[in-house]
Amino acid sequence: MGNPIWEVVQFRKKRTDEDIFKILKNVPTFSELNSKELSEVEKIIHRREYKKGEPIFRMGDPGLGMYIIITGSVNIIEEREGESATTLAVLKDGAFFGDLALLDESPRSASVIAGENSEILGFFRPDFLDLLYRKPRLGIKILFSLSKVIGERLRRTNEQLSALKANEGYTNG
Amino acid sequence: MFWRVFAILLGIAVVIVVFPYVKSVLVMFVFALLLAVLLNPVVDFLESHGVHRGLAILITMLLIIGIIAFTVSRIIPGIISAVESLSSKLQSNVITDLNKRIETFFAVHFNNAELARNVTSKVNEFGLKLLGNMAEFFKSVGGFLASVAIVPFVTFFIIKDIRIFKRELISKIPNKYFEMSLNVLQKVGHQVSKYIQGQATDAFIVGCLSVLGLFIINQVFDNPVSQFVFIGMIAGVANLIPYLGPIVGAVPALLVAILSNPPNLGVVLLWIVITFVLVQVIDNSFVSPMVVSKSVDMHPLTVVIVVIIGGNLAGAVGMLFAVPVTGIIKVTATEVIWGLKNYQLN
Repeated sequence: MGNPIWEVVQFRKKRTDEDIFKILKNVPTFSELNSKELSEVEKIIHRREYKKGEPIFRMGDPGLGMYIIITGSVNIIEEREGESATTLAVLKDGAFFGDLALLDESPRSASVIAGENSEILGFFRPDFLDLLYRKPRLGIKILFSLSKVIGERLRRTNEQLSALKANEGYTNG
Repeated sequence: MFWRVFAILLGIAVVIVVFPYVKSVLVMFVFALLLAVLLNPVVDFLESHGVHRGLAILITMLLIIGIIAFTVSRIIPGIISAVESLSSKLQSNVITDLNKRIETFFAVHFNNAELARNVTSKVNEFGLKLLGNMAEFFKSVGGFLASVAIVPFVTFFIIKDIRIFKRELISKIPNKYFEMSLNVLQKVGHQVSKYIQGQATDAFIVGCLSVLGLFIINQVFDNPVSQFVFIGMIAGVANLIPYLGPIVGAVPALLVAILSNPPNLGVVLLWIVITFVLVQVIDNSFVSPMVVSKSVDMHPLTVVIVVIIGGNLAGAVGMLFAVPVTGIIKVTATEVIWGLKNYQLN
């Protein structure tokens, strides 16, 4: 006969893992991974809990990796010396941020502060590079998805820039 | 402030009291850690080619257990018996011969038998002490190797679970220091692995070059250096100690040549010295700059001091590991300072 407490713990753990898999599946970087590959990613992600008002990282800190919100919300804030902080965006459950830091160590362009008590997943460059070396197929899949996300963002930025230029031309003309 | 200082002093006192009891375990753990760092790239390589990580570790570990078993069963007793036989040979033949030559020299040139007796007794004392120390050194290394049968098991679990240990450790760090700790830990790990792997590659190449040089000398001069493979290996391992290592590496070869007493001893000794100098030139000009990380360069005085401290703490093995361990401490300190400078922790 099994130990009922252990079974409950096992059940909870399994359910939590499945929840994490679902959350990861909704992040474009991991959306094309199968469950076996997601379990490899799950092994290297970090789960953190932040209290309301606690910084996740500060503007200017070296970039280290991306975060995915499981529960709660975060404020993306621009902090300039001598000026009051500007909130650029508020992100909620399932949203992700900081993914560019998976590629290089460039300083963070904004601060991220927990808007309420939040549970967050962290996926970081050193672990990603290690995965890329140990499991190249999986690493390349993630890298390819990441490239698609960045490419999409660039396309949108270009469109906005073109629209802005056209608008300026129209106004000046 | 008082309690902080008190806690630090108490910590130091506890370390001093506890250290003698945990010294052997600590040395073994450091050895296992170094081995894990050396073997991890092999495991990662096998894993990247589709081999399951567990199986990759098993294959690598079986290989290393085989090498250790071979070393302990063949090489170490061989070296000990060689040193012991050389020691008795030295006592019976060479020192007697040397004594006679010294006595004749002093009798002819200075007409002073007392001075000759003093000099010969000093020479005897020095020679026996040197050989005694050498035998002790090899015995301690042999004893160490024999008692580290547990090292492969510790190494196995370090390689298998290092990521879990790291994640567990990181999970305990407060949010404020989380990113900095993760980044610094990764950088330290990377630098230390690069340094240890570089040192091992360098030692291997120096060992091979020394064996090759001594082999050529043996071919040209009718085998004046017996056990040249082991002597070459010693030179490779001794190369882990900068500045002092090359001398430590050359001494056994010179000693063995002196004891075998070939007819053209002077020329043989000269060629041995030339060989080791040449190996050092090749090492310093080509090998070392390519394989050894420059981030842990140390002043010669630092090297001497840490080697003495290593010797006092853990004998011959401590002397061998003193420089690599200091290198690791230096890299860690550098990266922690980098982290403190670059992250806003307020």
